Amino acid sequence: MKFTAIAGACLSLLSSVAADANITAPSSSKVALPSTFKPPQVFKNANLVHVVSLEKNFAKESINVLIENVSPEPQDEYFLPFTSEQMEKVGGIEVKDRKSADVVGFTVEAVEFDPLSDTQYYRIRLPAPLSPKSQQTLGISFHYLRALSPLPAAIEQADKQYLLYAFSAYCPSAYPTLKQKTEVKLPSADIPDYTTIAGSGDVKEFPVKQGSKLIYGPFPEVPAGAVSAIKVRFESTKPVTHVSHLERDIEVSHWGGNVAFEERYTLFNHGANLSAQFNRVKWAQSQYFNPQTYALKEMKIPLRVGSKDAYFTDVIGNVSTSRFRSNKREAVLELKPRYPVFGGWKYPFTIGWNADTKFFLKKSASNYLLNVPLLEGPKQAEGVEYGQVQVRVLLPEGADNVKFYTTAPESSITGHSVDLERTYLDTVGRTVLTIKARNLVDDFRDRELIVSYDYSTMAGLRKPLIIFSSMISIFVGIWAISKVDL
Amino acid sequence: MAVATDASSAPMELLVSVGKNQSTKTLLRVLILCFIAAAAVASRLFSVIRFESIIHEFDPWFNFRATKYLVAHGFYDFWNWFDDRTWHPLGRVTGGTLYPGLMVTSGAIYHALRALTVPVDIRNICVLLAPAFSGLTAFAAYLLTNEMTTSSSAGLLAAAFMGITPGYISRSVAGSYDNEAIAIFLLVYTFYLWIKALKVGSVMWGALCALFYGYMVASWGGYAFITCLIPLHAFVLVCMGRFSNRLYVAYNTWYALGTLASMQIPFVGFAPVSTSEHMPALGIFGFLQLVAFLEYVRSAVPSRQFQTFLYVGLGGVFGVALLGLVGLTTGGYIAPWSGRFYSLWDTSYAKIHIPIIASVSEHQPTAWPAFFFDLNMLIWLFPAGVYMCFQKLEDEHVFVIVYALFGSYFAGVMVRLMLTLTPVVCVAAAIAASQLLDTYLVYKSPVAPEAKEEEVTDGTAKKSKQSALRSTSQPVVGIYTLISKGFIAGAMTLFLLIFVQHCTWVTSNAYSSPSVVLASRMPDGSQHIIDDYREAYQWLRQNTKEDAKIMSWWDYGYQIGGMADRPTLVDNNTWNNTHIATVGKAMSSREEVSYPIMRQHEVDYVLVVFGGLLGYSGDDINKFLWMVRIAEGIWPDEVKERDYFTPRGEYRVDSEASETMKNSLMYKMSYYNYCSLFPPGQAQDRVRGVRLPDQGPVLNTLEEAYTSENWIIRIYKVKDLDNVGRDHALAASFDRGNKKKKAGKKRGPRVLRAE
Repeated sequence: MKFTAIAGACLSLLSSVAADANITAPSSSKVALPSTFKPPQVFKNANLVHVVSLEKNFAKESINVLIENVSPEPQDEYFLPFTSEQMEKVGGIEVKDRKSADVVGFTVEAVEFDPLSDTQYYRIRLPAPLSPKSQQTLGISFHYLRALSPLPAAIEQADKQYLLYAFSAYCPSAYPTLKQKTEVKLPSADIPDYTTIAGSGDVKEFPVKQGSKLIYGPFPEVPAGAVSAIKVRFESTKPVTHVSHLERDIEVSHWGGNVAFEERYTLFNHGANLSAQFNRVKWAQSQYFNPQTYALKEMKIPLRVGSKDAYFTDVIGNVSTSRFRSNKREAVLELKPRYPVFGGWKYPFTIGWNADTKFFLKKSASNYLLNVPLLEGPKQAEGVEYGQVQVRVLLPEGADNVKFYTTAPESSITGHSVDLERTYLDTVGRTVLTIKARNLVDDFRDRELIVSYDYSTMAGLRKPLIIFSSMISIFVGIWAISKVDL
Repeated sequence: MAVATDASSAPMELLVSVGKNQSTKTLLRVLILCFIAAAAVASRLFSVIRFESIIHEFDPWFNFRATKYLVAHGFYDFWNWFDDRTWHPLGRVTGGTLYPGLMVTSGAIYHALRALTVPVDIRNICVLLAPAFSGLTAFAAYLLTNEMTTSSSAGLLAAAFMGITPGYISRSVAGSYDNEAIAIFLLVYTFYLWIKALKVGSVMWGALCALFYGYMVASWGGYAFITCLIPLHAFVLVCMGRFSNRLYVAYNTWYALGTLASMQIPFVGFAPVSTSEHMPALGIFGFLQLVAFLEYVRSAVPSRQFQTFLYVGLGGVFGVALLGLVGLTTGGYIAPWSGRFYSLWDTSYAKIHIPIIASVSEHQPTAWPAFFFDLNMLIWLFPAGVYMCFQKLEDEHVFVIVYALFGSYFAGVMVRLMLTLTPVVCVAAAIAASQLLDTYLVYKSPVAPEAKEEEVTDGTAKKSKQSALRSTSQPVVGIYTLISKGFIAGAMTLFLLIFVQHCTWVTSNAYSSPSVVLASRMPDGSQHIIDDYREAYQWLRQNTKEDAKIMSWWDYGYQIGGMADRPTLVDNNTWNNTHIATVGKAMSSREEVSYPIMRQHEVDYVLVVFGGLLGYSGDDINKFLWMVRIAEGIWPDEVKERDYFTPRGEYRVDSEASETMKNSLMYKMSYYNYCSLFPPGQAQDRVRGVRLPDQGPVLNTLEEAYTSENWIIRIYKVKDLDNVGRDHALAASFDRGNKKKKAGKKRGPRVLRAE
């Protein structure tokens, strides 16, 4: 299977990750720098293409930039500026070399310097320093959560929803940019409002509209930190699904040969609110021809093949409007919330399912390797965004030497810890690896989380022995008491 | 039943000889009891298997909420719990007005399991508490019956009956998390301990009895049944001339300790010494002292003097006590019988004086078929069992007789009290059934002692081996033959099988619906779940303000508190009749009257249950007359029941409905916007089976906020005051685009306007 190959490849990485970052001390993806810090002007952006993709309900941006070292020394630190407001919303920053996929090892870390400064930075460390005058093409991608706001903020039940997004036509950069253009990809061609700016070259006015796409640029040289505020308002009659908190528990049971998943969602629809109260008659009638709506009616959660015993509950019990199909090819959990979730409404719920360990667990001697998706959850055309994510891996009692590695962007992981939790007649408590992440989106579903741990046979026999001996001692105790003649 | 197996072959004989062994018998008995307990638990799990582990109906939701509070905040906070989320704006001193036994039991189980690190959800404990306790009740019935008879099978039969009788299952299916869930076990067990104490005359058993009585008082308001039955038993025994030191010790121990224990419950408080319900126990307590004293005097003085002493002394004391009681009652120190108790004597009392009690379906007098429905064959074995008790008439048999009499009466008066009758029916029926089975299965033909062993197994050999002497003096006929044995055994087996089948059927069909979730069948036969209640409650919980006040009829108060977690105006703890009547008035009056009431009570949402679309008959329009009646009780001038009927005295909701009906808030909320769901002229109410007018009602002061998928729950938002200071009717009419009506008459002559 694919798994072994990945596992093998990851083992080497694992050791490196775990070796320097001792698991109990959370590795911070933050760099502290003096408060007077300014990014040294050692690069220039020779060419830059900025793609703003608004097809889902979060803003996905990718910057393809050709950087050139203009200083006399080799440089390996490239700074990426964000406003402090954006810093809260940005997530999933990934960098790769556009020219060759072999170049790996970019690290992205937030820079901590002056907390009051409006401009904050992420630092991208190149895998190899860039020698003077040489160039490298970076593909930087990230996304903003809660970036789209409905305008008007309250609409009728059957109306179309329009979303607004604000950004800069000049790609924010800490370095001068010689040539750049910004592409905005929208879900539909219905774009009633967008900011127009003066064109350059033979184009009189930006943007150029091509179907559902707006193109600002190309622009001539722009100094570092230049901004040109743009607002785009476009039709998107789809729910703006926001999961503010996701708690995901993965419980591994060696005795049962089972991996149990449970996920608790706090889900909001950040779309437009209802301007009038919810009208059941209109809703029921509209269901006959199933129009596009901004209410969240249904979610589809594709699970790994072999998943079983799925459940869907909320705080007052089982939600009967769910379907689970599981066969050899697929396992899909189809959820319908109890009510259509309109903008401004909330629907917290819990789902869970079981799967065999054979799909996830590999053993070598007393070392085990667990490979699970870091994030599953709904797969919607309109996308889902996650504010705070907490993944807990509950390993069997007595598991130790826990290490983990994940293919999700490192800058999104905010912390991790290993503790003990006592459940199901545990005496010592089972080892729990907790990983916290923020600002993820459903693009990262199926990113892997690989956990390696040691688990000896003795640890496995511990619980049956303890239960056996305590039962025996209870019986002996009762027998002894019954023999005492009062 | 297993004891009654017919042994007929060689291995069976071996089994029988093994069965003769005392420890084997004990083992068998324990095994059988375990199986009975398992069957009792299993037959209560229908709803969990069909639906889910969910709390049922109405009251259990409050108990569940209280249990969660107890588990979350600890015992002392629970004890002092003032709940400001019910009975808005009054609040409720919940900790002091509930029976904490149930919640404390669940809480204790929860903490015990947590201490063993078993991560169990408190909801599952609450759901499964009643079945678990029903297993214990079966065991208690076994113990109680064993005190009545020497037959070893009677106890097991009683346990089996108790385990599966629908009369008890009706209140103890999984999810029916109500006080009765544990109270019936405590009732039976307290009675067992009382009989034991009485038989042995021991302080220890009396104290145990008092302890369990205290637990019972902490658990259920029905403890008054014990409080009255035990003194009555004692009284009857004394009247039968059976006063003994055993009785004296048992009763006094029970009364003194039991009363102290019961007074520890805040809700009971000083009631044991200040209300009429508890006076018999106190009276018998004094009476027993008197009798004991007389016994002592009689042993000390000659009989003639004793008689004078008896007449003067006893008459005097009795007279003084009676006068004292009357005086204290009129003086208000002792509360007279409460309304709920009056309704036990006069079944029409509640209907006239306390409509709120009469409006509850479980407070109605029992219909005759209900006895057969709930008890099946036990109902005809029951008199036989009581008759058997008359035959023996030991102290404990008197108890069964007294219990049977009173239990039968109460069960006839109120459907709910079928529950208290069930244990004695099971005990008496088991005595009768075991007598029958013992007679026909175990009794041997009168034979010579040496032929005894064969006779047990081989019936055909009987006649030949009978000794000539006996058979000539007393011819052996009837029950000793195999035919009669076989016939009776077969008939009994058949009855028992039918009983089991009936119990299963009743449990499955009548008592296992959670009523929060409704089940229906799709055309292809698959189960379709109608989950409107939870849909609407969940919507309320997630999408309204944390402290949004919900007004609904009191039936749904506990559910809203439990599932929607929102403050309510009234709930199923009907302690304040006026407050309920206020809600009734708001529901049954015109909008102009209701709106100020709702504003005064800070109501944000109004919730009504409407079954018209689905044909769900338990909806608010069908309960509406009770709201009217209860409101009329307080405001007879403003709300009149007669106005809600047509001139011909019909209760209608269609175009013929009376004007008062059509203008009532309840009617408007139920049918608002309903006809727009149908093509013109085809709007239909499927509960009442009538066609509705095309023009639906108009609501000015409320707006529809949410309606569940099948329209069972409709939630309305109370509009805020108009921004421009108009009244709502005017504002709504303006919004609809109607022209403002010219106010009054024209002022002055018409003038041509020239600009």
